[in-house]
Amino acid sequence: MIDIRNLSFGYKKGRLLYENLSLSLESGSIYGLLGKNGAGKSTFLKALIGLLFPKGGKISINGFEPRKRTPSFLETIYFIPEEVNVPSLTIKRYLDLFSPFYPLFDENFFYKCLQVLEVKTQDKLSTLSFGQQKKFVIAFGLACNTKVLLLDEPTNGMDIPSKTQFRKLISSVFTKDRMLLISTHQIRDLDNLIDKIIIVDNGEVLLNTSITEVTDRLCFKTFHDLPADPSEILYSEESLEGISVVMRNMDQEDSKVNLEHLFNAVTERPAIAKEIFVN
Amino acid sequence: MYDTFYWPRFGRLLKKTLLERPMQMLGLPGAILLIIFLYYAIFHLPMHQWFEIQKVAFLFGLTGGGAILASFVFGYFSTNAQGSSYLTLPASHFEKWLCAILIAGVLYPGIFLIFFRVMDASFVGWFHDHLDGTRPDYKQLYDTVNIFRFDSIIARNSIMYFLNYAGAMLVGSLYFNKVSIIKVVLVIGVLFLSMYFINLLIAKILIGDVENAFPFDSIDIWVRKISAGSRVVHSETRSIDLPSGSVGIFDIIIRYFLPAALWIIAYIRLRDKEF
Repeated sequence: MIDIRNLSFGYKKGRLLYENLSLSLESGSIYGLLGKNGAGKSTFLKALIGLLFPKGGKISINGFEPRKRTPSFLETIYFIPEEVNVPSLTIKRYLDLFSPFYPLFDENFFYKCLQVLEVKTQDKLSTLSFGQQKKFVIAFGLACNTKVLLLDEPTNGMDIPSKTQFRKLISSVFTKDRMLLISTHQIRDLDNLIDKIIIVDNGEVLLNTSITEVTDRLCFKTFHDLPADPSEILYSEESLEGISVVMRNMDQEDSKVNLEHLFNAVTERPAIAKEIFVN
Repeated sequence: MYDTFYWPRFGRLLKKTLLERPMQMLGLPGAILLIIFLYYAIFHLPMHQWFEIQKVAFLFGLTGGGAILASFVFGYFSTNAQGSSYLTLPASHFEKWLCAILIAGVLYPGIFLIFFRVMDASFVGWFHDHLDGTRPDYKQLYDTVNIFRFDSIIARNSIMYFLNYAGAMLVGSLYFNKVSIIKVVLVIGVLFLSMYFINLLIAKILIGDVENAFPFDSIDIWVRKISAGSRVVHSETRSIDLPSGSVGIFDIIIRYFLPAALWIIAYIRLRDKEF
Protein backbone atom coordinates (compact mmCIF):
# COMPACT_ATOMS: atom_id res chain seq x y z
CA MET A 1 0.00 0.00 0.00
CA ILE A 2 1.18 3.49 -0.83
CA ASP A 3 0.26 6.22 1.61
CA ILE A 4 1.08 9.82 0.78
CA ARG A 5 0.40 12.52 3.33
CA ASN A 6 0.70 16.27 2.63
CA LEU A 7 3.42 15.76 0.06
CA SER A 8 5.07 18.93 -1.18
CA PHE A 9 7.62 18.74 -3.91
CA GLY A 10 9.39 21.16 -6.21
CA TYR A 11 12.72 21.53 -7.93
CA LYS A 12 13.06 25.16 -6.90
CA LYS A 13 12.25 26.74 -3.58
CA GLY A 14 9.01 28.67 -3.71
CA ARG A 15 7.85 26.93 -6.90
CA LEU A 16 6.32 23.70 -5.79
CA LEU A 17 5.15 21.15 -8.30
CA TYR A 18 2.97 19.45 -5.71
CA GLU A 19 1.71 20.99 -2.53
CA ASN A 20 -0.04 19.15 0.31
CA LEU A 21 -0.82 16.15 -1.85
CA SER A 22 -2.51 13.30 -0.02
CA LEU A 23 -3.27 10.00 -1.67
CA SER A 24 -3.74 6.33 -0.85
CA LEU A 25 -3.10 3.54 -3.33
CA GLU A 26 -4.10 -0.04 -2.56
CA SER A 27 -2.44 -3.30 -3.54
CA GLY A 28 -4.32 -5.50 -5.97
CA SER A 29 -4.85 -2.75 -8.53
CA ILE A 30 -3.41 -1.48 -11.75
CA TYR A 31 -3.37 2.28 -11.56
CA GLY A 32 -3.15 4.53 -14.55
CA LEU A 33 -1.49 7.85 -13.77
CA LEU A 34 -2.60 10.33 -16.37
CA GLY A 35 -1.48 13.87 -16.89
CA LYS A 36 -0.38 16.32 -19.52
CA ASN A 37 3.25 16.67 -20.53
CA GLY A 38 5.08 18.39 -17.69
CA ALA A 39 2.32 17.70 -15.18
CA GLY A 40 4.84 16.01 -12.88
CA LYS A 41 4.03 12.35 -13.49
CA SER A 42 7.67 11.26 -13.72
CA THR A 43 8.55 13.41 -10.72
CA PHE A 44 5.79 11.72 -8.76
CA LEU A 45 7.09 8.25 -9.67
CA LYS A 46 10.66 9.27 -8.81
CA ALA A 47 9.50 10.43 -5.40
CA LEU A 48 7.83 7.05 -4.89
CA ILE A 49 10.98 5.08 -5.70
CA GLY A 50 13.18 7.41 -3.61
CA LEU A 51 15.10 9.10 -6.41
CA LEU A 52 13.71 12.49 -5.43
CA PHE A 53 13.05 13.62 -1.88
CA PRO A 54 9.90 15.49 -0.85
CA LYS A 55 10.22 19.02 0.49
CA GLY A 56 7.46 18.30 2.96
CA GLY A 57 5.04 15.58 3.95
CA LYS A 58 5.54 11.84 4.05
CA ILE A 59 5.50 8.90 1.68
CA SER A 60 5.11 5.37 3.00
CA ILE A 61 5.21 2.31 0.74
CA ASN A 62 4.35 -0.95 2.49
CA GLY A 63 5.79 0.60 5.66
CA PHE A 64 9.03 1.78 4.04
CA GLU A 65 10.20 5.35 3.61
CA PRO A 66 11.41 5.55 -0.01
CA ARG A 67 14.04 8.28 0.48
CA LYS A 68 16.13 5.92 2.63
CA ARG A 69 16.47 3.54 -0.35
CA THR A 70 17.10 0.56 1.91
CA PRO A 71 17.71 -2.81 0.21
CA SER A 72 14.63 -4.27 1.96
CA PHE A 73 12.52 -1.60 0.29
CA LEU A 74 14.22 -1.69 -3.12
CA GLU A 75 13.76 -5.48 -3.31
CA THR A 76 10.01 -4.90 -3.24
CA ILE A 77 9.72 -2.20 -5.87
CA TYR A 78 10.87 -1.86 -9.47
CA PHE A 79 10.94 1.30 -11.53
CA ILE A 80 11.03 1.33 -15.31
CA PRO A 81 11.98 4.84 -16.42
CA GLU A 82 10.86 6.43 -19.65
CA GLU A 83 14.35 6.32 -21.11
CA VAL A 84 16.13 3.02 -20.91
CA ASN A 85 19.79 2.42 -21.49
CA VAL A 86 20.90 -1.16 -21.07
CA PRO A 87 24.57 -2.01 -20.54
CA SER A 88 26.68 -3.64 -23.19
CA LEU A 89 25.97 -7.19 -22.01
CA THR A 90 24.29 -10.28 -23.40
CA ILE A 91 20.89 -11.26 -22.00
CA LYS A 92 22.45 -14.16 -20.10
CA ARG A 93 25.15 -11.99 -18.53
CA TYR A 94 22.62 -9.27 -17.64
CA LEU A 95 20.51 -11.87 -15.90
CA ASP A 96 23.53 -13.27 -14.11
CA LEU A 97 24.52 -9.84 -12.76
CA PHE A 98 21.19 -8.18 -12.00
CA SER A 99 18.59 -10.83 -11.17
CA PRO A 100 20.23 -12.04 -7.89
CA PHE A 101 19.33 -8.69 -6.32
CA TYR A 102 15.63 -9.56 -6.56
CA PRO A 103 14.78 -12.55 -4.33
CA LEU A 104 11.53 -13.37 -6.17
CA PHE A 105 12.96 -13.13 -9.67
CA ASP A 106 11.38 -15.72 -11.99
CA GLU A 107 13.78 -16.67 -14.78
CA ASN A 108 11.28 -18.84 -16.67
CA PHE A 109 8.74 -16.05 -16.69
CA PHE A 110 11.43 -13.61 -17.84
CA TYR A 111 12.18 -15.74 -20.91
CA LYS A 112 8.45 -16.13 -21.52
CA CYS A 113 8.07 -12.34 -21.47
CA LEU A 114 10.94 -11.97 -23.94
CA GLN A 115 9.26 -14.50 -26.19
CA VAL A 116 5.89 -12.75 -26.01
CA LEU A 117 7.47 -9.36 -26.65
CA GLU A 118 9.58 -10.87 -29.45
CA VAL A 119 12.95 -9.83 -28.06
CA LYS A 120 15.53 -12.17 -29.47
CA THR A 121 19.24 -11.62 -29.59
CA GLN A 122 22.45 -13.48 -28.95
CA ASP A 123 24.36 -10.21 -29.25
CA LYS A 124 24.84 -7.50 -26.67
CA LEU A 125 21.73 -5.67 -25.52
CA SER A 126 23.17 -2.31 -26.51
CA THR A 127 22.88 -3.36 -30.16
CA LEU A 128 19.08 -3.57 -29.87
CA SER A 129 16.81 -0.75 -31.02
CA PHE A 130 15.33 1.58 -28.38
CA GLY A 131 11.95 -0.18 -28.59
CA GLN A 132 13.57 -3.61 -28.15
CA GLN A 133 15.66 -2.36 -25.23
CA LYS A 134 12.54 -0.99 -23.62
CA LYS A 135 10.74 -4.31 -24.03
CA PHE A 136 13.73 -6.10 -22.53
CA VAL A 137 13.68 -3.85 -19.45
CA ILE A 138 9.92 -4.29 -19.11
CA ALA A 139 10.33 -8.10 -19.26
CA PHE A 140 13.01 -7.91 -16.57
CA GLY A 141 10.90 -5.61 -14.40
CA LEU A 142 7.89 -7.90 -14.65
CA ALA A 143 9.96 -10.99 -13.83
CA CYS A 144 11.34 -9.36 -10.65
CA ASN A 145 7.95 -10.06 -9.07
CA THR A 146 8.15 -7.01 -6.84
CA LYS A 147 5.11 -5.93 -4.87
CA VAL A 148 5.11 -2.54 -6.54
CA LEU A 149 5.94 -1.91 -10.17
CA LEU A 150 6.24 1.66 -11.42
CA LEU A 151 6.24 2.19 -15.17
CA ASP A 152 6.92 5.60 -16.66
CA GLU A 153 5.58 5.95 -20.21
CA PRO A 154 6.16 2.23 -20.87
CA THR A 155 4.67 2.21 -24.35
CA ASN A 156 6.83 5.03 -25.73
CA GLY A 157 8.91 3.64 -28.54
CA MET A 158 6.76 0.52 -28.96
CA ASP A 159 5.06 -0.43 -32.19
CA ILE A 160 1.34 -1.28 -32.25
CA PRO A 161 1.66 -5.10 -31.92
CA SER A 162 4.09 -4.61 -29.03
CA LYS A 163 1.60 -2.39 -27.23
CA THR A 164 -1.00 -5.14 -27.46
CA GLN A 165 1.49 -7.71 -26.18
CA PHE A 166 2.47 -5.34 -23.40
CA ARG A 167 -1.14 -5.04 -22.24
CA LYS A 168 -1.54 -8.83 -22.26
CA LEU A 169 1.63 -9.29 -20.23
CA ILE A 170 0.66 -6.68 -17.68
CA SER A 171 -2.69 -8.40 -17.20
CA SER A 172 -0.98 -11.75 -16.81
CA VAL A 173 1.41 -10.64 -14.04
CA PHE A 174 -1.24 -8.97 -12.00
CA THR A 175 -1.99 -10.57 -8.62
CA LYS A 176 -3.90 -9.45 -5.56
CA ASP A 177 -0.77 -8.58 -3.58
CA ARG A 178 0.84 -6.51 -6.32
CA MET A 179 0.34 -2.94 -7.38
CA LEU A 180 1.16 -1.55 -10.77
CA LEU A 181 1.31 2.17 -11.39
CA ILE A 182 1.56 3.12 -15.02
CA SER A 183 2.20 6.71 -15.95
CA THR A 184 1.45 7.81 -19.47
CA HIS A 185 0.18 10.60 -21.63
CA GLN A 186 -0.74 8.06 -24.31
CA ILE A 187 -4.05 7.40 -22.70
CA ARG A 188 -5.39 4.94 -25.25
CA ASP A 189 -2.58 2.52 -24.42
CA LEU A 190 -4.21 1.89 -21.06
CA ASP A 191 -7.63 0.97 -22.47
CA ASN A 192 -8.97 -2.22 -20.87
CA LEU A 193 -5.86 -2.49 -18.73
CA ILE A 194 -6.24 -0.36 -15.64
CA ASP A 195 -8.84 -0.67 -12.92
CA LYS A 196 -8.00 2.55 -11.07
CA ILE A 197 -7.28 5.95 -12.48
CA ILE A 198 -5.40 8.95 -11.14
CA ILE A 199 -5.46 12.22 -13.05
CA VAL A 200 -2.97 14.92 -12.08
CA ASP A 201 -2.84 18.48 -13.33
CA ASN A 202 -1.22 21.67 -12.04
CA GLY A 203 0.23 19.86 -9.05
CA GLU A 204 -3.13 18.57 -7.93
CA VAL A 205 -4.81 15.18 -7.99
CA LEU A 206 -8.03 15.84 -9.85
CA LEU A 207 -9.27 12.29 -9.77
CA ASN A 208 -8.33 9.11 -7.92
CA THR A 209 -10.98 6.49 -8.34
CA SER A 210 -11.81 3.12 -9.85
CA ILE A 211 -13.05 2.55 -13.37
CA THR A 212 -16.21 1.03 -11.87
CA GLU A 213 -16.80 4.24 -9.96
CA VAL A 214 -16.28 6.23 -13.14
CA THR A 215 -18.94 4.22 -14.99
CA ASP A 216 -21.27 4.53 -12.03
CA ARG A 217 -21.01 8.29 -11.96
CA LEU A 218 -20.39 9.19 -15.56
CA CYS A 219 -21.87 8.16 -18.83
CA PHE A 220 -19.99 8.07 -22.14
CA LYS A 221 -22.35 8.44 -25.07
CA THR A 222 -22.56 9.58 -28.67
CA PHE A 223 -25.46 11.75 -29.84
CA HIS A 224 -26.47 13.09 -33.20
CA ASP A 225 -27.46 16.35 -31.51
CA LEU A 226 -26.47 17.70 -28.14
CA PRO A 227 -28.92 16.74 -25.38
CA ALA A 228 -31.40 19.30 -24.10
CA ASP A 229 -29.72 19.89 -20.71
CA PRO A 230 -26.07 20.83 -21.42
CA SER A 231 -25.37 21.46 -17.72
CA GLU A 232 -25.01 17.72 -17.24
CA ILE A 233 -22.29 17.53 -19.91
CA LEU A 234 -18.67 17.68 -18.73
CA TYR A 235 -17.11 17.28 -22.11
CA SER A 236 -18.15 16.96 -25.74
CA GLU A 237 -16.27 16.25 -28.91
CA GLU A 238 -17.44 15.98 -32.47
CA SER A 239 -16.64 12.76 -34.27
CA LEU A 240 -17.69 10.97 -37.46
CA GLU A 241 -20.44 9.15 -35.57
CA GLY A 242 -21.84 12.33 -34.03
CA ILE A 243 -21.08 14.15 -30.81
CA SER A 244 -19.32 12.12 -28.12
CA VAL A 245 -20.08 13.36 -24.66
CA VAL A 246 -19.13 12.69 -21.07
CA MET A 247 -22.02 13.44 -18.77
CA ARG A 248 -23.37 12.68 -15.34
CA ASN A 249 -24.84 9.20 -15.15
CA MET A 250 -28.27 10.14 -13.86
CA ASP A 251 -30.07 6.97 -14.98
CA GLN A 252 -27.46 4.38 -13.93
CA GLU A 253 -26.71 3.53 -17.54
CA ASP A 254 -23.85 1.20 -18.47
CA SER A 255 -21.27 2.65 -20.82
CA LYS A 256 -17.69 1.98 -21.78
CA VAL A 257 -15.15 4.42 -20.40
CA ASN A 258 -13.32 6.48 -22.98
CA LEU A 259 -10.15 7.38 -21.08
CA GLU A 260 -9.24 10.20 -23.41
CA HIS A 261 -12.62 11.85 -23.05
CA LEU A 262 -12.58 11.27 -19.30
CA PHE A 263 -9.18 12.92 -19.05
CA ASN A 264 -10.33 15.92 -21.05
CA ALA A 265 -13.51 16.20 -19.01
CA VAL A 266 -11.67 16.13 -15.69
CA THR A 267 -8.89 18.52 -16.71
CA GLU A 268 -11.23 20.99 -18.38
CA ARG A 269 -13.83 21.02 -15.64
CA PRO A 270 -11.99 19.98 -12.49
CA ALA A 271 -14.41 21.58 -10.05
CA ILE A 272 -17.43 19.73 -11.42
CA ALA A 273 -15.47 16.48 -11.64
CA LYS A 274 -14.48 16.82 -7.99
CA GLU A 275 -18.04 17.49 -6.98
CA ILE A 276 -19.27 14.41 -8.86
CA PHE A 277 -16.68 12.07 -7.35
CA VAL A 278 -16.59 13.44 -3.83
CA ASN A 279 -20.32 13.15 -3.25
CA MET B 1 22.14 -4.92 9.73
CA TYR B 2 20.66 -6.46 6.56
CA ASP B 3 19.93 -2.96 5.27
CA THR B 4 23.47 -1.73 5.97
CA PHE B 5 25.80 -4.58 5.06
CA TYR B 6 25.13 -8.12 3.93
CA TRP B 7 28.10 -10.11 2.65
CA PRO B 8 26.39 -12.11 -0.14
CA ARG B 9 24.79 -8.97 -1.53
CA PHE B 10 28.07 -7.06 -1.34
CA GLY B 11 29.75 -9.86 -3.30
CA ARG B 12 27.04 -9.65 -5.96
CA LEU B 13 27.42 -5.88 -6.11
CA LEU B 14 31.18 -6.06 -6.53
CA LYS B 15 30.81 -8.64 -9.28
CA LYS B 16 28.15 -6.57 -11.00
CA THR B 17 30.20 -3.37 -10.74
CA LEU B 18 33.29 -4.97 -12.25
CA LEU B 19 31.58 -6.92 -15.01
CA GLU B 20 28.77 -4.56 -16.00
CA ARG B 21 31.24 -2.12 -17.57
CA PRO B 22 34.30 -4.27 -18.22
CA MET B 23 35.89 -1.72 -20.54
CA GLN B 24 35.91 0.93 -17.83
CA MET B 25 36.51 -1.20 -14.77
CA LEU B 26 38.99 -3.72 -16.17
CA GLY B 27 40.09 -2.39 -19.56
CA LEU B 28 40.98 1.09 -18.32
CA PRO B 29 43.32 -0.03 -15.50
CA GLY B 30 44.84 -2.54 -17.94
CA ALA B 31 45.45 0.24 -20.47
CA ILE B 32 47.02 2.46 -17.81
CA LEU B 33 49.40 -0.29 -16.73
CA LEU B 34 50.31 -0.92 -20.38
CA ILE B 35 51.04 2.77 -20.96
CA ILE B 36 53.21 2.90 -17.82
CA PHE B 37 55.07 -0.21 -18.98
CA LEU B 38 55.68 1.24 -22.46
CA TYR B 39 56.78 4.58 -21.02
CA TYR B 40 59.22 2.85 -18.68
CA ALA B 41 60.49 0.50 -21.38
CA ILE B 42 61.06 3.26 -23.94
CA PHE B 43 62.54 5.96 -21.77
CA HIS B 44 64.54 4.11 -19.11
CA LEU B 45 67.69 3.56 -21.20
CA PRO B 46 69.64 6.77 -20.55
CA MET B 47 71.02 5.71 -17.21
CA HIS B 48 71.20 9.14 -15.65
CA GLN B 49 67.45 9.56 -16.18
CA TRP B 50 66.47 6.22 -14.72
CA PHE B 51 65.32 7.60 -11.39
CA GLU B 52 63.34 10.37 -13.13
CA ILE B 53 61.54 7.75 -15.22
CA GLN B 54 60.77 5.69 -12.14
CA LYS B 55 59.37 8.78 -10.42
CA VAL B 56 57.17 9.84 -13.32
CA ALA B 57 55.91 6.31 -14.00
CA PHE B 58 55.05 5.81 -10.34
CA LEU B 59 53.41 9.19 -9.89
CA PHE B 60 51.27 9.06 -13.04
CA GLY B 61 50.49 5.37 -12.77
CA LEU B 62 49.25 5.64 -9.23
CA THR B 63 47.80 9.14 -9.09
CA GLY B 64 46.65 9.56 -12.69
CA GLY B 65 45.38 6.01 -13.12
CA GLY B 66 43.74 5.97 -9.70
CA ALA B 67 42.03 9.31 -10.23
CA ILE B 68 40.72 8.34 -13.68
CA LEU B 69 39.38 5.04 -12.36
CA ALA B 70 37.83 6.79 -9.36
CA SER B 71 35.94 9.11 -11.70
CA PHE B 72 34.34 6.07 -13.36
CA VAL B 73 33.24 3.99 -10.38
CA PHE B 74 30.27 6.26 -9.71
CA GLY B 75 29.96 7.18 -13.38
CA TYR B 76 26.33 6.14 -13.78
CA PHE B 77 24.75 9.55 -13.82
CA SER B 78 25.34 10.66 -17.39
CA THR B 79 21.98 9.16 -18.41
CA ASN B 80 18.66 9.15 -16.61
CA ALA B 81 18.23 5.40 -17.09
CA GLN B 82 21.65 4.38 -15.79
CA GLY B 83 21.45 6.72 -12.80
CA SER B 84 17.97 5.53 -11.83
CA SER B 85 19.00 1.92 -12.23
CA TYR B 86 22.09 2.37 -10.05
CA LEU B 87 20.39 4.25 -7.23
CA THR B 88 17.41 1.88 -7.14
CA LEU B 89 19.49 -1.30 -7.25
CA PRO B 90 18.73 -3.22 -4.03
CA ALA B 91 22.02 -2.65 -2.21
CA SER B 92 22.73 -0.25 0.62
CA HIS B 93 24.48 3.09 0.20
CA PHE B 94 27.26 1.78 2.38
CA GLU B 95 27.76 -1.27 0.15
CA LYS B 96 27.80 0.89 -2.99
CA TRP B 97 30.30 3.26 -1.41
CA LEU B 98 32.45 0.44 -0.06
CA CYS B 99 32.47 -1.16 -3.48
CA ALA B 100 33.80 2.07 -5.01
CA ILE B 101 36.40 2.41 -2.23
CA LEU B 102 37.49 -1.17 -2.73
CA ILE B 103 37.92 -0.79 -6.49
CA ALA B 104 39.48 2.68 -6.62
CA GLY B 105 41.20 2.78 -3.25
CA VAL B 106 42.36 -0.77 -2.61
CA LEU B 107 42.30 -3.03 -5.67
CA TYR B 108 43.76 -0.60 -8.20
CA PRO B 109 46.61 0.72 -6.01
CA GLY B 110 47.32 -2.83 -4.83
CA ILE B 111 47.54 -4.15 -8.38
CA PHE B 112 49.52 -1.12 -9.49
CA LEU B 113 52.09 -1.47 -6.69
CA ILE B 114 52.60 -5.18 -7.44
CA PHE B 115 52.82 -4.47 -11.17
CA PHE B 116 55.23 -1.58 -10.67
CA ARG B 117 57.49 -3.53 -8.36
CA VAL B 118 57.65 -6.52 -10.76
CA MET B 119 58.26 -4.27 -13.78
CA ASP B 120 60.81 -2.10 -11.99
CA ALA B 121 62.69 -5.05 -10.47
CA SER B 122 62.79 -6.79 -13.87
CA PHE B 123 64.28 -3.77 -15.64
CA VAL B 124 66.73 -3.01 -12.84
CA GLY B 125 67.72 -6.71 -12.60
CA TRP B 126 68.20 -6.88 -16.37
CA PHE B 127 70.40 -3.76 -16.24
CA HIS B 128 72.52 -5.15 -13.40
CA ASP B 129 72.86 -8.54 -15.10
CA HIS B 130 74.03 -6.99 -18.35
CA LEU B 131 76.65 -4.70 -16.84
CA ASP B 132 80.18 -5.55 -17.79
CA GLY B 133 81.75 -6.69 -14.51
CA THR B 134 85.27 -6.07 -15.81
CA ARG B 135 84.72 -2.33 -16.20
CA PRO B 136 86.55 -0.19 -13.67
CA ASP B 137 83.40 1.85 -12.98
CA TYR B 138 81.24 -1.27 -12.60
CA LYS B 139 80.43 -0.64 -8.95
CA GLN B 140 79.55 2.99 -9.61
CA LEU B 141 77.30 2.10 -12.55
CA TYR B 142 75.68 -0.71 -10.58
CA ASP B 143 74.80 1.66 -7.74
CA THR B 144 73.39 4.30 -10.09
CA VAL B 145 70.31 2.22 -10.81
CA ASN B 146 68.23 0.89 -7.95
CA ILE B 147 64.77 -0.48 -7.36
CA PHE B 148 62.33 2.35 -6.61
CA ARG B 149 61.64 2.42 -2.89
CA PHE B 150 58.00 2.58 -1.81
CA ASP B 151 58.97 4.24 1.48
CA SER B 152 60.76 7.13 -0.24
CA ILE B 153 59.49 10.70 0.05
CA ILE B 154 58.45 10.64 -3.61
CA ALA B 155 56.45 7.45 -3.16
CA ARG B 156 54.81 8.80 -0.02
CA ASN B 157 53.94 12.05 -1.76
CA SER B 158 52.54 10.13 -4.74
CA ILE B 159 50.31 8.17 -2.37
CA MET B 160 49.16 11.44 -0.81
CA TYR B 161 48.34 12.87 -4.27
CA PHE B 162 46.53 9.67 -5.19
CA LEU B 163 44.36 9.72 -2.06
CA ASN B 164 43.42 13.37 -2.59
CA TYR B 165 42.80 13.29 -6.32
CA ALA B 166 40.95 9.96 -6.27
CA GLY B 167 38.80 11.24 -3.40
CA ALA B 168 38.07 14.45 -5.31
CA MET B 169 37.10 12.41 -8.39
CA LEU B 170 34.74 10.23 -6.35
CA VAL B 171 33.02 13.25 -4.86
CA GLY B 172 33.00 15.10 -8.20
CA SER B 173 31.39 12.21 -10.05
CA LEU B 174 28.52 12.36 -7.56
CA TYR B 175 28.09 16.12 -7.93
CA PHE B 176 28.60 16.50 -11.67
CA ASN B 177 26.46 14.07 -13.60
CA LYS B 178 28.08 14.55 -16.98
CA VAL B 179 31.80 14.71 -17.96
CA SER B 180 32.64 14.83 -14.28
CA ILE B 181 36.33 14.15 -14.84
CA ILE B 182 36.79 17.38 -16.83
CA LYS B 183 34.69 19.40 -14.41
CA VAL B 184 36.65 18.12 -11.40
CA VAL B 185 39.97 18.92 -13.09
CA LEU B 186 38.69 22.45 -13.77
CA VAL B 187 37.52 22.87 -10.18
CA ILE B 188 40.87 21.66 -8.82
CA GLY B 189 42.69 24.01 -11.23
CA VAL B 190 40.60 27.00 -10.18
CA LEU B 191 41.08 26.08 -6.52
CA PHE B 192 44.86 25.87 -6.88
CA LEU B 193 45.08 29.14 -8.80
CA SER B 194 42.89 30.89 -6.24
CA MET B 195 45.00 29.56 -3.38
CA TYR B 196 48.19 30.59 -5.17
CA PHE B 197 47.02 34.14 -5.81
CA ILE B 198 45.61 34.58 -2.30
CA ASN B 199 48.90 33.32 -0.87
CA LEU B 200 50.85 35.59 -3.21
CA LEU B 201 48.72 38.58 -2.30
CA ILE B 202 49.15 38.02 1.43
CA ALA B 203 52.89 37.46 1.02
CA LYS B 204 53.23 40.64 -1.07
CA ILE B 205 51.32 42.64 1.53
CA LEU B 206 53.40 41.29 4.41
CA ILE B 207 56.83 40.91 2.83
CA GLY B 208 56.96 42.70 -0.49
CA ASP B 209 59.39 41.44 -3.12
CA VAL B 210 57.94 37.93 -3.63
CA GLU B 211 58.76 35.73 -6.60
CA ASN B 212 56.73 32.65 -5.86
CA ALA B 213 54.07 31.76 -3.34
CA PHE B 214 52.95 28.22 -3.93
CA PRO B 215 50.67 27.21 -1.14
CA PHE B 216 51.41 26.64 1.64
CA ASP B 217 54.70 25.59 3.17
CA SER B 218 57.11 28.19 1.73
CA ILE B 219 57.44 31.30 -0.40
CA ASP B 220 60.35 32.51 -2.54
CA ILE B 221 61.43 36.09 -2.21
CA TRP B 222 64.00 38.24 -4.04
CA VAL B 223 67.00 39.36 -2.06
CA ARG B 224 68.82 42.23 -3.76
CA LYS B 225 72.18 43.88 -2.96
CA ILE B 226 72.04 47.55 -3.81
CA SER B 227 75.06 49.78 -4.31
CA ALA B 228 75.48 53.29 -2.95
CA GLY B 229 74.13 54.66 -6.26
CA SER B 230 70.90 52.64 -5.77
CA ARG B 231 71.95 50.17 -8.44
CA VAL B 232 71.21 46.49 -8.02
CA VAL B 233 74.55 44.76 -8.00
CA HIS B 234 73.37 41.30 -7.08
CA SER B 235 70.04 39.57 -6.70
CA GLU B 236 69.01 36.08 -5.78
CA THR B 237 65.94 34.22 -4.48
CA ARG B 238 65.62 32.82 -1.01
CA SER B 239 62.93 30.70 0.53
CA ILE B 240 61.03 31.47 3.67
CA ASP B 241 59.57 28.30 5.11
CA LEU B 242 56.67 27.96 7.46
CA PRO B 243 57.63 27.20 11.05
CA SER B 244 58.04 23.45 11.51
CA GLY B 245 54.95 23.24 13.73
CA SER B 246 52.77 24.79 11.03
CA VAL B 247 54.30 22.54 8.36
CA GLY B 248 53.39 19.57 10.53
CA ILE B 249 49.77 20.68 10.76
CA PHE B 250 49.62 21.33 7.01
CA ASP B 251 51.15 17.93 6.39
CA ILE B 252 48.59 16.17 8.57
CA ILE B 253 45.77 18.01 6.83
CA ILE B 254 46.78 17.08 3.29
CA ARG B 255 48.02 13.57 4.07
CA TYR B 256 45.23 12.37 6.35
CA PHE B 257 42.43 14.80 7.04
CA LEU B 258 41.64 15.96 3.48
CA PRO B 259 41.62 12.48 1.86
CA ALA B 260 39.55 11.06 4.72
CA ALA B 261 37.10 13.95 4.42
CA LEU B 262 36.79 13.54 0.64
CA TRP B 263 36.21 9.78 0.79
CA ILE B 264 33.62 10.20 3.57
CA ILE B 265 31.88 13.05 1.74
CA ALA B 266 31.48 10.64 -1.19
CA TYR B 267 29.39 8.38 1.06
CA ILE B 268 27.25 11.24 2.36
CA ARG B 269 26.72 12.57 -1.14
CA LEU B 270 25.74 9.12 -2.44
CA ARG B 271 23.26 8.67 0.41
CA ASP B 272 21.69 12.08 -0.22
CA LYS B 273 21.85 12.04 -3.99
CA GLU B 274 18.65 12.84 -5.84
CA PHE B 275 18.40 12.07 -9.50
